[in-house]
Amino acid sequence: MSPRRLQTAVFLGALALAAWPGLSPAPKADYDFETFSRLPVLEGGRVKPIDSFARNSLLAIRSKQTVLVDGKSLPATRWLLDAAFKPEAADTYPAFVVDDPEVLGLIGLAQDKGRYFAYWQIEPKRDEIQTQAAAADQVESARRSRFQSALLHLHGRLTLYERVKNTFMLSGQGDPVQELAAFSALLPTALKAFHSKNPTNKDRVVMKALSDMLQRFNFLAQAAAFKALPPKAGAPDDAWTSTGEAMANPTGGHDPHPSLASFALMGRAYRAGDAPAFNAALQEHVAWTAKIRPDAARSARVEALFNKASPFISGMALYILALLLVFAGWATRRADVAAAARALAWAAFSVHTAGLLAHSVLQGRPPVTNLYSSAVFVGWAAALLGLVAERLHRRGFAVAGACAIGFSTLLIAHHLKSTGDTMEMMRAVLDSNFWLATHVVTITIGYSSTYLAGMLGIAWVVRRHLPLKPDLEASKALASLAYGVIAFSLLFSFVGTVLGGIWADQSWGRFWGWDPKENGALLIVLWNALILHARWGGFVRERGLMIMAIFGNIIVSLSWFGVNMLGIGLHSYGFMDKAFVWLSAFCALQLALMGLGMLPARFWKEPRTNP
Amino acid sequence: MRRNDAVSRLVDLLSSLKLTLLCLTLLIVLVVACTLAQVNLGIHLAVERYIRSFIVWWSPEGSALRLPLFPGGGLVGGVLLLNLVFAQFRKLEWSWRKGGLWIVHVGLALLFIGEFATALMQVESNIAIEEGQTKSYSEDYRLMEAVVVDETNKEFNEEFGIPDSLLMSRREISDPGLPFKLVVRAYHENAMLSRGGGASSPVNAGVGVGMSIQPRHPVTADGEQNSSVAVVEPVLPDGKSLGVYLLSNALGAPQGFIHEGRSWKLALRLRQYRHPFSLTLKDFRHDRYPGTNIPKNFSSLVRLKDPAAGDDRDVLIYMNSPLRHGGLTFYQASFGKNDTLSVLQVVRNPAWTLPYVSCLLVSLGLLWHFGVMLKKSLAARAA
Repeated sequence: MSPRRLQTAVFLGALALAAWPGLSPAPKADYDFETFSRLPVLEGGRVKPIDSFARNSLLAIRSKQTVLVDGKSLPATRWLLDAAFKPEAADTYPAFVVDDPEVLGLIGLAQDKGRYFAYWQIEPKRDEIQTQAAAADQVESARRSRFQSALLHLHGRLTLYERVKNTFMLSGQGDPVQELAAFSALLPTALKAFHSKNPTNKDRVVMKALSDMLQRFNFLAQAAAFKALPPKAGAPDDAWTSTGEAMANPTGGHDPHPSLASFALMGRAYRAGDAPAFNAALQEHVAWTAKIRPDAARSARVEALFNKASPFISGMALYILALLLVFAGWATRRADVAAAARALAWAAFSVHTAGLLAHSVLQGRPPVTNLYSSAVFVGWAAALLGLVAERLHRRGFAVAGACAIGFSTLLIAHHLKSTGDTMEMMRAVLDSNFWLATHVVTITIGYSSTYLAGMLGIAWVVRRHLPLKPDLEASKALASLAYGVIAFSLLFSFVGTVLGGIWADQSWGRFWGWDPKENGALLIVLWNALILHARWGGFVRERGLMIMAIFGNIIVSLSWFGVNMLGIGLHSYGFMDKAFVWLSAFCALQLALMGLGMLPARFWKEPRTNP
Repeated sequence: MRRNDAVSRLVDLLSSLKLTLLCLTLLIVLVVACTLAQVNLGIHLAVERYIRSFIVWWSPEGSALRLPLFPGGGLVGGVLLLNLVFAQFRKLEWSWRKGGLWIVHVGLALLFIGEFATALMQVESNIAIEEGQTKSYSEDYRLMEAVVVDETNKEFNEEFGIPDSLLMSRREISDPGLPFKLVVRAYHENAMLSRGGGASSPVNAGVGVGMSIQPRHPVTADGEQNSSVAVVEPVLPDGKSLGVYLLSNALGAPQGFIHEGRSWKLALRLRQYRHPFSLTLKDFRHDRYPGTNIPKNFSSLVRLKDPAAGDDRDVLIYMNSPLRHGGLTFYQASFGKNDTLSVLQVVRNPAWTLPYVSCLLVSLGLLWHFGVMLKKSLAARAA
């Protein structure tokens, strides 16, 4: 096969592989879970599919998007359906991850029983947890003990689960269809009773029954995790309601929301195990939504498809395969393997690009809006830069750097997901597409290129300690690439930093406030400027340049993640706590690599003539 | 001849690339130190100590000693600026090839000058206006002033403001407009006041009689407020005391006295800046995303009246969209009282345009320079 054809084949094959999860039909089931997962709901200020809410909630509760029940993995939407309609079953699923020994001690559970626990195991101590959490909440977050943080974290997850259970109907209480019918039947007589001048005993009973019912609906309105009923025709676009709100509403009785009945029927059918009835009620709601709120229905469908396709997971897999293929190319010295590696890297990048675009379009924002999307974007820009740089020096270094950064940033993004909705709404001052698109994107490209330069530095150092044939050209090529990339970094990090200052001037009235995030950005600029000036002045040469480039990895990481950990201390819980360990390990590794690079010539495998 | 030698050596030093590297390294250390120090000191104090200073001082715990520890941001920045200028004229050739670097360095110099100018000239204050209220002054965040007000005339009060710097540095303050001088018996930047236990206190008039004063360290955290205390005594030219008063911004009650038929009021409050125009808050809005408490936008609709400039118009101030008027900029900063009170940050910074110009110059310069480099590198590869 000619190299061109081989490359095309590898590229298309990889794309087909990546597209499979999105295109594959749903596993056969009696219930139409797929359609249910695509229903639009309003939560966190935006319309999203139930699928997104279920995945994010389960990620928060269990740190995974699925829950393991009797050795079978249950998708998030199934878990949500069980929690909402069959809570007695969902309460037995080991959905809560609890690691902290002191919290386990409080609940009376032993650590040797694993780390996943079911709601029923925790429920007996629910009041105790509530009381302790209220006390811990009084403590300033930076001063909380490990136990307090862990307890608050568990309390938050328990509350979220309890809200899910009370979203469509009161948790596990009877038949929602009957409740709805009883309400409609009771309302006219009760209203009459309210208006009667001298109420009879029967009137009082009816009024009491109605007020009990309304109390339940009000509780339901407070508790609901999301709003599942789209606004009726003519209502404002954001006037979504939850089941409880729609029932407690004065018009709930005589002009009920059409989907109230659909959800009640779905609930009864699901409890009774009657799949056809469930599917029929679901179809009714889908048809009504498609007619009245077609935009919401479509965007939810697309987002659910995006979730299912999970392009960043496929991208991650392709990047790592491409990286392995680059290594294979170096080991075998075969041009066709190297060519295939490049094609695979381009395929990984294309999948990454598709995911980035889809995420951006779905959110209606420029690509970087939070820590999660910054990770996705840093990797994307670094991969692009690396792939372009590879065209200048076809030695595989740039493409290896691109794949390594692409893979690691997507992995970081994957772990950042558990911190919440990745398409969250932007708080007031951030609600500016102009500045998100200019300042944030520019500075993030600065991160990307600084990392790429650092990866090239690592490649340079590692090469010297590998038993390779002497290849001065390769080392030189690496250094000149790194030099160009650093220059690029300086441009973008400087412009990005100053644009950030201008944004601050526009919104807070000071151009530069020396706050940690600003200082972090400034450090990247200063470091890149220092490298370039040191090189221009001849104070460092090839080796010094590469070692300094590796230190750039530390600077960017501290600026990107380190400043978020400032003042949080070591007591924080959740992602940042684990991230602190990883960040420290990463920095230590970079320092070790720098040390390796500084070893005198007799330690090198690769013979060199000049330092 | 020898003098020339010394001068040229100094010029050599000032234009050397080694000095650039040293300054960049020192700056990196300072920025890291300032960032870490913010955890304990708060941002304002950390910046004052590390960046807006010429020397970073260190006082060993429990001693009055002040030892110079490290060059401060002002010094490093100043030297770097000199270095930039000298290197520019000594080392860089005048050519198209180096044109980009020229522009970059001019832009950088502007950025440095801008930051120096900001440190020296920027004044920040705020206006808290309730809906329907009109104000023509703003208040400082930290600095205090003592005021002596002649309230005799019901229509027009005459005010004499005494900045806290004077209260700290002077024993006596007099003004031709005042029939008495003000003797400063004590001034505490931050102190706790409590009822009782003030038997030894010299205060013998006003609400402060019998209060005890416990001095505290001035607050450092952002958003915290000092409660400053001044003990002052109005004294007539013939030496007769009109009473010793305790003034504090933590005390709400008005205090004063009547002298020769004129009614005088004394107070200590956040320093006020008078403006020749007024702002009336017509409406404050706090928009949230549907079904959540996530803020989407804050905006203040104000009426700006400036007779001198001929302005009488409505202005909408919202996030990322400040009002610039009369050399001041007004930003939506905060809110309160159930969304009926809006707080605007007011900034006077004559140097605010410099970063914009600088950003443009440096971007163009870097693009130019790296473009030339890339072209050269590509040409070399093609050859």
